[in-house]
Amino acid sequence: MALDTSIIAGGWLAAGLTIFLFSFLYKDNPFFKIAEHLYLGAGMGWLFQVSVTSVWIPKIWEPVSKGELLVIIPSVMGLLLLTQFIPKISWLSRYGFTFMMGYGSGLAIPAGLSTDFMSQIEGTIRPFSKLASMTPFSILSSLIVAAGTICVLFYFFFSVEHKGHLKKVSNVGIYFLMIYFGAAFGNTVMARFSLLYGRFDDLFTFSGASYFYATQAILAAMVIYFVIHWLVSGRKPASEEEAA
Amino acid sequence: MKETLQKFFKIDRRWIFLLLAVTLFVPIVKPIGLPNKSISQATTRVYENIEKLPAGSFLLLSLDYDPSTRPELHPMAMALVRHAFSRNLRVGVVTYIAGSTGLIEELFAKVGKEYNKKDGTDYVILPYQPNILAVMTQMSSDMYGIYSKDRNGTPIAGMPVLKGVKSYKDMSLVVCVTGTAILDYWVAYVGDKYSVPVAGGVTAISQPGYGPYLQTNQLKGLIGGMKGAAEYESLIKQPGKGTSGIDALNLAHLLVLVLILTSNIILLFVKYF
Amino acid sequence: MKLIKKQIPLAIVFITGVLTLISYYVPHKVSVDYIETMNKWENIVVAFAFLLGLISLFFSHYHKITRKADGWGYSIFVFIGFLAMVVPSYTSHGKQMVDGMLTPLGWSYKYIYTALSGTMFAVLAFYIVSTAYRSFRIKSAQAFVLFVAAFILILGKVPLGQIIWDYALGWTGQGVSAVIEWIMQVPAVAGKRGIMIGISIGAIVTSLKIIFGIEKQYMGKD
Repeated sequence: MALDTSIIAGGWLAAGLTIFLFSFLYKDNPFFKIAEHLYLGAGMGWLFQVSVTSVWIPKIWEPVSKGELLVIIPSVMGLLLLTQFIPKISWLSRYGFTFMMGYGSGLAIPAGLSTDFMSQIEGTIRPFSKLASMTPFSILSSLIVAAGTICVLFYFFFSVEHKGHLKKVSNVGIYFLMIYFGAAFGNTVMARFSLLYGRFDDLFTFSGASYFYATQAILAAMVIYFVIHWLVSGRKPASEEEAA
Repeated sequence: MKETLQKFFKIDRRWIFLLLAVTLFVPIVKPIGLPNKSISQATTRVYENIEKLPAGSFLLLSLDYDPSTRPELHPMAMALVRHAFSRNLRVGVVTYIAGSTGLIEELFAKVGKEYNKKDGTDYVILPYQPNILAVMTQMSSDMYGIYSKDRNGTPIAGMPVLKGVKSYKDMSLVVCVTGTAILDYWVAYVGDKYSVPVAGGVTAISQPGYGPYLQTNQLKGLIGGMKGAAEYESLIKQPGKGTSGIDALNLAHLLVLVLILTSNIILLFVKYF
Repeated sequence: MKLIKKQIPLAIVFITGVLTLISYYVPHKVSVDYIETMNKWENIVVAFAFLLGLISLFFSHYHKITRKADGWGYSIFVFIGFLAMVVPSYTSHGKQMVDGMLTPLGWSYKYIYTALSGTMFAVLAFYIVSTAYRSFRIKSAQAFVLFVAAFILILGKVPLGQIIWDYALGWTGQGVSAVIEWIMQVPAVAGKRGIMIGISIGAIVTSLKIIFGIEKQYMGKD
């Protein structure tokens, strides 16, 4: 199946940028630096264009041009944030920041209180209200959750005066934390690999005949670059870069 | 002997990089053919919560992931949309991550066509908004106060897909797919406060953190990482990138375990012998 | 001067904070109207916040170029990358797809932004492997517990690992998936819930401090 020229060009560009960024794993090089700087710019550019088309035009420009002037107040507060860059009048940015902080804090208190505090305590206790319908194993599990939660809290709140029984309890808490962190680490490994899989999968797509072997060509070019660089720069062993 | 071992331990890490690259790339070229078998309870709960909705119910998807977490979350979102469309649900999409807009566009162009669903009639994609708290709070009373047009500037009032939908009261379920803490916001500011059922799809990294919410039923279900995506694909019987992804991860996972064990055995050996 | 530099901003944080807090619990029309206005305003204010990052990025690279600092040539690519998103957005009127075809903006997203952003994070996979090899030390009982939990999850999440588990530990009658479910639903919940409750108390205290003007570091120095 023949692909559109723009798609083939896109494939070459994407394969190139991907390999350039990966090339850092071997050694820092100009191609990596170019791709890295492009990333900084492109990320900002994307955020900028989305903000303009999704917020500034429909939420500020259009209402104001229709005579709804109230939106000027938050726009001015938003623009005042930028006075941060001018030391003399940087205090003006406080008008924006305090508004954001006040609003955020006002919402954070009730939500934190009910979602992460009350509901969690309730969730720890509630299973015990239906003991009759539970298997011995699920009763045990519920007990472990309750005991573990308490031990972890002890670890956090009594870490100052680690003595006697308190110390023992908080030590048990550490083990629960370790299981949680272990699970988190195991999952992190999977997550990281998944992301790498995604890029490799794309590179594999671009290595096909319909893309005129973009991946292979660019990979070969990078290898040639490194070989020439190695020959020209006096054959220093590459492992010297290791420390980085 | 000891020195050889120590040298082996201090091996140039680029050899490890290369080893990983090979173990992950080879199964992509030549799949091993060991797809996911087990399905976790948390994933099944998401599936059942969508499965039980009557046709025509309004499902709100908050798709908040950008290309950096695409391999994990895109297959998940795709499976969710396929499920929703196959059940003839109406789908609304919101996002609070600027980088996700392109992925959403790509997803609906593909899956919309598969199920012959029309923009504006069967689904609506709302534009990116920068402040999630503001939008969430607003949608509890009147979503049109924040959203008046879709992402292409078409006014949304009167769209068939939004018929009778004004606030959370008119939505049957919210599913948030994200690599950020946005799911926490849905739980705290929408699920708990307005008693809206909220389910989620997250990266494997954040998956263990949602255990407490699942136990209390503050979250109605959770799809976690590439494995979760593969599980959901098997539930709807439509294998996709999640299923092939798990197949490719087989060897790499074992590689990590072998490496951790090897280095610890070397150290033990060096220390005691 | 102190009034407009300090006291009025502190009054703003106090008033918006308290009113927003109250509006959570009071479902009266006045409070709904208040919060709706605040929602719209907040959404607009935040839409300017990212300009802080944008301007400082541009400043630093612009200076590098004008001063011809080391590696200034690369700084040009920051602006090229920026324009590679903004120019197509202008010509495509912000639309990424028209009639199922990619617009120039959609093309830039798919082939430039996706490749760059995806790869930046994919590189981390290599580092986690080399770290696992070099620094994952099982030196104490606590580290051993962490290792066991991690081991079971890494093994049990892939089909090949499940096969190995069944082969080696099948006699226990417990599949690795069931063990993972238990870890995630019992000890990991206890660990995370302790952290969650701890953090929520901290967050509530900090929020109260902000509202009452005790915590005002975010305002910067005078």
